[in-house]
Amino acid sequence: MTQIIIQGLLLSGLYALIAMGFTLIFSIGRILNLAYGTYLLIGGYVYFYFSQMLGMPKLVGVLLAVIVGAAMGLAKYRMIVKPLKGDHVTIPIATLILAVVLQSGVILVFGDSSKILLPIVPGVERVAGATIPFSNLLAAVASWAILISLYFFINKTHTGRAMQAVSMDAKGAAVSGIDSDRINMITWGISGGLGALAGVFFASYTQLTPSMWVAPLIISVAIVIVGGIGSIVGTLIVAHIIGFMEIIVTALIAPELRGVFTMVLIIGVLVIRPQGLFGREEI
Amino acid sequence: MGLRWYHFALWAGFIILMYAMPDLVSKGTLRTFIFANFLAIFAISWDVLSGRTGYISFGHPFLIGIGAYTTAILTKRFDVAIEISIPIAVVVTMIGSTLFILPALRIRGSYFALVTLAFMELIYQLVQVIRPDLTGGTRGMSGIETLTRGAVNGYYMSLSLMLAVAISMWLLMRTRVGTALSAIGMNEDSVQGSGLSTTRLKLFAFLTGAFVAGLGGAFYVHYLGSIAPRALFDINFVFTIIVAALIGGSSTIIGPMVGAFFLTYLLEYLRPFLPGAERYFIYGGIALIIYIYQPKGIYAVVMQAWERLRSGKSA
Repeated sequence: MTQIIIQGLLLSGLYALIAMGFTLIFSIGRILNLAYGTYLLIGGYVYFYFSQMLGMPKLVGVLLAVIVGAAMGLAKYRMIVKPLKGDHVTIPIATLILAVVLQSGVILVFGDSSKILLPIVPGVERVAGATIPFSNLLAAVASWAILISLYFFINKTHTGRAMQAVSMDAKGAAVSGIDSDRINMITWGISGGLGALAGVFFASYTQLTPSMWVAPLIISVAIVIVGGIGSIVGTLIVAHIIGFMEIIVTALIAPELRGVFTMVLIIGVLVIRPQGLFGREEI
Repeated sequence: MGLRWYHFALWAGFIILMYAMPDLVSKGTLRTFIFANFLAIFAISWDVLSGRTGYISFGHPFLIGIGAYTTAILTKRFDVAIEISIPIAVVVTMIGSTLFILPALRIRGSYFALVTLAFMELIYQLVQVIRPDLTGGTRGMSGIETLTRGAVNGYYMSLSLMLAVAISMWLLMRTRVGTALSAIGMNEDSVQGSGLSTTRLKLFAFLTGAFVAGLGGAFYVHYLGSIAPRALFDINFVFTIIVAALIGGSSTIIGPMVGAFFLTYLLEYLRPFLPGAERYFIYGGIALIIYIYQPKGIYAVVMQAWERLRSGKSA
């Protein structure tokens, strides 16, 4: 029981971190960025390359991963989202193609086989029969810290409020003198950086493989859809629902069924309550 | 339906060329052609369901997989004859497609794409766990009865199926129903405003798409003789189908066929240089450039060039 609670908390923290960047982009302009998972992929591999292949300090590796992720986000916005003018049919397809391109790019550079990432912080702690690797604990703590600071950033700062305004009504925001292009750039940059950071933790939680972008994408989709658009609190709550359900299903029913609940949740919520459990009215 | 003499001439020329292919190319190339034929069937099916109506499905392997698994289980586990199992598989796929209808009535755009993606992941996980004695679990099934032996026969089988699908869909899309489906993709509300039932039209599009997908999936599994969940319910497979339909040109019939052949060929051409999954780097890159440049695909690029040539001549 204690084991389920501890593992559930750790996994949920990681999931909340993974979904955060996706929520930001989906909230601004309903852009379905199917290449979101590749931030995690690239972030993980950048960290692997600098800290494990070149032997740089781990913190430098993490920083470089975040910078590369943010740069990818900006490039994606400039080169794909803006030319396609936020279209709801072409952007999901273009980003899906991009995701496959990046996946094969990683295969081209690093090869097809999976790689084990050394834990960011070595060592484990045993609490009541549950093993807690320090890097998972760090991921959970970091994710809480980031979520809280993001909450304050969006609600208290001028830029954050401008982001909210653009996500509610782009035209109205433009009339009030907000440069929505600049806000979009900032959001895409943050999203990419967060995704890459989540990738470092996610890769040390599982493994580094070229196809590791699919699972985080599905998880973020589920969290955003169920939590509702533009709701950080919703994201946090649903990340915990999904994280705990996965751990419970794995521990009590069957490990193979761990994703089934997530899928049923996505389908059910989209059919019954498309605005999500905590989101605002729309569609 | 506005059929002209040159339509018949072009189709006849195309059919003759395709049937003469085994005499012109080697057996290895022929096997590539078989895959291109099947990919063309899947792309046409995707185009009927998504390309026209604008309801982008990312879960097309869900439908193909239902068809393929149904016939594979029936023939392998229950010794049903192929002639009976394939029609059953098609009907089951059409029933399965009604699962897409429910969300399509309430949600549009990105949200619909997400539901279909969730359906595909759901069936991928369920297939491995529920009744592994029937589905073969994670490893899938092999030793399924095949319809043909040898590359030439396989080619004729896949070609005939592809042409039958292409011509019937082409004729269907020239009717008023086809026009209405394309209109849904442009502006659903105004179709409704014209007094047409969009629910019925969408149902029709989904059932037709599922019919073709189930047929293609069933024949595909009886060509391969094996089936595995990871190869089928895979986001890379979705990618291949969608890219084939879109690069060729969606909302046309010739487009998905062109796309399927172009991409299968590109992939085969790259094989000596890049043996593994790295090929998708160039393949996807080319697809992305074409798609960003012209979302309507190669067909639209060629048509524009043709128009420009013609107006250039008359001027």
